[in-house]
Amino acid sequence: MNSVAVSTQISARAAGTSLFAMLALLGFILPNYELLAVSQHLFLAINVMALNFCLGLGGQVSLAQGAFCGLGAYISALLHPVMPGASLAIAVAASGAAFALAAAVSRPLEKLGEGFLAMATLAVTLIFTNLILSFESITGGTAGMMVDLKLSLPFIGPISGDKPYYFLFLGLLLASVLVFARIRASRLGRALLACHDDPEAASACGVHRAAVRSLAFGLGGALSALAGMLQAHYSGFVSPGQYSLELSLKALLFLVIGGPGRILGPIAAVLILETALSKIHFLGEARVLVHGLLLALALLLGPVRSFHTGRARFTNAAGTDT
Amino acid sequence: MASLTAYAVQTVNSGLALGSVYGLMALGFSLIYNSSRLINFAQGELLLLCGLTLYSLTQAIQVNPAFALAAAGACGYFAGFIMYSSTLGLSFRANPLRQLMLTVAASLTWQGVAILVWGKKPLLLPRLLPIPAVTVGPFYLSADTAASLAMALAAAGLLSLFLAKTRYGRAIRAVSMNSLAARLQGVSPTNAHALSFALAGVTAALGSMAVGPQTMLRYDMGLGLGLKGFVAASLGGYDSVWKVFAGGVILGLVEAALVLTFSAELKETLSYALLIGLLLLAKSDRARPVKA
Repeated sequence: MNSVAVSTQISARAAGTSLFAMLALLGFILPNYELLAVSQHLFLAINVMALNFCLGLGGQVSLAQGAFCGLGAYISALLHPVMPGASLAIAVAASGAAFALAAAVSRPLEKLGEGFLAMATLAVTLIFTNLILSFESITGGTAGMMVDLKLSLPFIGPISGDKPYYFLFLGLLLASVLVFARIRASRLGRALLACHDDPEAASACGVHRAAVRSLAFGLGGALSALAGMLQAHYSGFVSPGQYSLELSLKALLFLVIGGPGRILGPIAAVLILETALSKIHFLGEARVLVHGLLLALALLLGPVRSFHTGRARFTNAAGTDT
Repeated sequence: MASLTAYAVQTVNSGLALGSVYGLMALGFSLIYNSSRLINFAQGELLLLCGLTLYSLTQAIQVNPAFALAAAGACGYFAGFIMYSSTLGLSFRANPLRQLMLTVAASLTWQGVAILVWGKKPLLLPRLLPIPAVTVGPFYLSADTAASLAMALAAAGLLSLFLAKTRYGRAIRAVSMNSLAARLQGVSPTNAHALSFALAGVTAALGSMAVGPQTMLRYDMGLGLGLKGFVAASLGGYDSVWKVFAGGVILGLVEAALVLTFSAELKETLSYALLIGLLLLAKSDRARPVKA
């Protein structure tokens, strides 16, 4: 690793630390109603990081982030009345279920190529929505259902209010960033990088493609489920509309704009662009037009280009391009 | 016994009606997939925009059947070509992942255009072909079903003739077998890709003529219909026009039977679960992109 790479790494770490310090400071000084908006940005940012595990590390497109998120939310909403107070155990169950589902879809489809997996994840999203709507007696159907019970942690007890949830979102985002950076710089991260630079060469080097890619995909699913669980208890309400395809597509949009495989870029894209995009709400559903054009522009001009040219990426493969 | 017969008649009628649409979508999918190894997420939006354009045409002028078919063909060809130029044509040498995401972007953009221009209300495309209801033995095909089936069969037949007998069809097949070898023989892969998109547009336009009178045209129908076409193409195995078309018809019949047996609510879940099951069972060599 040369000195330029080291200094880039240090400056990236400094930028990351100051970003999180600033967000933590915001948590202390902002009034509650403004924290609500920032919390929603953080919720989206966690989903973008979750997709980053699938796309940035594994090179697999997922359109099911919304469904994984909703899975976590509904599992938590349905299990809390049965086992009140056992939030940690429920978090393990929800993220475990999402991990298992994501890995089980990704593992056999790895051999078919990324397009087939992407189509299968689209099917997962549509199946999830359809199931929620069909079992109205359990899930409340289109109208959704109230989540009355609050999360409760050991030693702290039930959690309520905007500030604690803000810090839970921030903590989850920070944890996902640390895990992501750790994996990217590890042997597993290099194996994943090899998989999407040249799958056949990776196999020839002894990388078990299906295993490492489904692991990354599963981690993405689990992270989304945790975000959904937090969101369900924070808003006190779950409905299929919150966890629809739009969430998955938005995560894809922001990740591609920020650069898959990077950390600060995607998070910055969410914090800046989500606010800017809320200005086009007057378009109604037609805002997908803007989303589509932005996605296309980002794909044609954006940092994905430099990311996917294997050789340019190789010089700083140790995970320095944060 | 009588109810069982009525049940079978009903299943065949509604299954063939939607099955022909799925078959048409599946043909478009496999054309594009075979020539360029790209899965087109915006296939359903091709159908949507062609259908809406035809709707506007029928509102503006009196359309006779021959003109309607010609307009659908022209509109689909043009739309397919625009889709090619805005996705694959712009990213010919890019990573396949990026080409795939560009078709997702195209799907969003086209959906946005549909909402802005035609609004969010479902629109009923009138039946444009004067084909009467048919009774074959015990089976009854309604006018909608007969028209869809006739269009789909004609499209599949013409497509298979085109691919087998004409110079351009052979070029598409050559590129799909080995694009490098095809180029060495003087075939332009770019032209073959563009042509396969345009032909997929034509099948989608015919699909819109078939589906419009049945379920109306709605701005958000694209992704679901596209996915159904993809299920059908996977069912048919991507390698022959008639097998792919049969995949669509089988999917339609299975769906119709499921709706009548269970509830209509779980229909989507069951047919998408069928897709995931199919993909899980698929052999890797069939769908594996062939390296040039």
